[in-house]
Amino acid sequence: MTNQRQEVKMLQGLETILLKENFGEAIPEEYIVRENPRTIVHRHTYGGLSRFFGGLAESVLWGTVCLNQNCKWSDIWLPPRVHCPDCWEAMEWVPIDARGAKVYTHSTINLPGAGFMLTTPCPLISVEIRGVCTKFMSYLSKFGENEPYIGMPVKPVFQKDNPTYTILDISWVPKNSD
Amino acid sequence: MTDFRKFYPEKQSTELCLEAMKMAVQGTKVSAQEFHGMVNLCVYSQFADHFGDQLLAASKIHDYLGFDPIPNIEVKTGGATGGSAAKTAIELIASGSASVVPVVGWERMDEVNTRQGNAYIASAACKDFESPLGWSYTAYYALMMRRYLHEYHPQRETLAKIAQKNHHYARFSPFSQLPGDYSIEEILNAKVVSDPLTFPECCVMSTGAAVLIFCDEETAYRLTDHPVEVIGIGAGTHTLRTADRRDMPILLLPNETEDTYKGRSNDWPGFTSFLAARFAARQAYLMAGITDPVEELDLAETHDAFTVSDIQTYEDVGFRPYGRGAEFVESGDAYLGGRLPTNLSGGLIGSMHAVGATGLFQLAEIFWQVRGQWNEIHDDEELWKRFGKTKPTDFESLQVPDARRGMAISHAGTGSHVTCIILDGGK
Repeated sequence: MTNQRQEVKMLQGLETILLKENFGEAIPEEYIVRENPRTIVHRHTYGGLSRFFGGLAESVLWGTVCLNQNCKWSDIWLPPRVHCPDCWEAMEWVPIDARGAKVYTHSTINLPGAGFMLTTPCPLISVEIRGVCTKFMSYLSKFGENEPYIGMPVKPVFQKDNPTYTILDISWVPKNSD
Repeated sequence: MTDFRKFYPEKQSTELCLEAMKMAVQGTKVSAQEFHGMVNLCVYSQFADHFGDQLLAASKIHDYLGFDPIPNIEVKTGGATGGSAAKTAIELIASGSASVVPVVGWERMDEVNTRQGNAYIASAACKDFESPLGWSYTAYYALMMRRYLHEYHPQRETLAKIAQKNHHYARFSPFSQLPGDYSIEEILNAKVVSDPLTFPECCVMSTGAAVLIFCDEETAYRLTDHPVEVIGIGAGTHTLRTADRRDMPILLLPNETEDTYKGRSNDWPGFTSFLAARFAARQAYLMAGITDPVEELDLAETHDAFTVSDIQTYEDVGFRPYGRGAEFVESGDAYLGGRLPTNLSGGLIGSMHAVGATGLFQLAEIFWQVRGQWNEIHDDEELWKRFGKTKPTDFESLQVPDARRGMAISHAGTGSHVTCIILDGGK
């Protein structure tokens, strides 16, 4: 029987794009700069935090609190943590009462990084909520002139239709808006 | 050290690191071959594998430098990677397990466009709760800046002066990427990246490399007649998410008492201060026996990723008490000729931020200053030519007269990791 040799061939799809310039500068001819394209999908688990992201789709903002009587820290964590960082016991889930929530600080994003899935300008805010020991980072999805401002009363709104199961499913609007 | 550029198609990371290593060893009394025989371990400092798109790039560089089979490790603590890598090398020497440890830092940030680069950097924020809200650290620092302006009411122009100063000092560095003389109006009226931070108030994104050599005292004198001593090191951490920082009493520095903050009502560290920086500086000051940094240090390199982070750091490391960082600039202390000139290198805003190299770049600039060698390096016509640059006709010496002690602050994220290293060049 003849030992027939097999061939290895290059598969189709390895596109060759050589750059002549980059960042507005010409590339000297003696150097080869080629594009290496990437399309990657990660499968990311929210693990024990799944309840938080599931809650957003149900218009509930969940936080966590440590009920261990030997632990001195009793304020609510938002973003929630599954475990207390001080005693390492599992914490309890509590719905956040966002009445009285106000803007702690803010910025308006004009030039976000790649992958930003909101329109710009986008007011980024940190929200101060009574009983919560953290300042929740989010965005203002409805804003007028001179908004946001520090101390501005806000209320949460949720992406109930077609939730993305990301932190973008919650945003805030002025408290006095419809 | 190499120069730092937005785009460096002429050289691969291996070549850049070799050039930086070669320059470091050429400053000693030994040859490259002799140096190979002295090294016990190498520490590699690169922030993100994403950028260079090469996992275990350190191994490739280690091989390229001809150090196999000497062991190596790679250190990663975000923007503080350079400082942490240097600290690791110092601790290895101090432990007695090594007598010579080169630290090689680099970042190749030019394989992707700037928007993607910002997104890669923001991958070092919390992916679940922060990154999708901007994919940009400028936005996260802008939140801090807004709060800082609200709590302490500095003049907006004072922050712009930090950018003006550092871009200006970068003009006298052959290594710098974004030198320039800008008016305050130009800085404040420039395009806003994320309100209130404008373009000239934000750090550059660079490609380049820097190398430092750490060794024990006996070996140091085999390498040079004028070694520089490490007299203080410190490091600190805090929550990756700025949001998660619980209110706490202020950790006092040796130059502060409880009376310093009597009647204060603002949160601490809140959004205006960095616990990690204060924790790191406190350790380093205690180790070095420093009780008043402005009086006892001759220069400093701070991590001016953004103008606001610089003013925050002045307070964290005790150049001024909390809320009074602006005074450090307005008094003239921060300038050459002032009591504690800061970022004469041009800093991250004017010179470079090739993240893994940054903490080492800062230490290298202090190393040259405390040896009285700043002019020898920066005024060298050949070095400017090597980098394809022309030395400015109005070149100014930024050598601090009689500089002896300098401090470098290496900083990650919104203060998730900070290191503090103090060098002493002796008399």
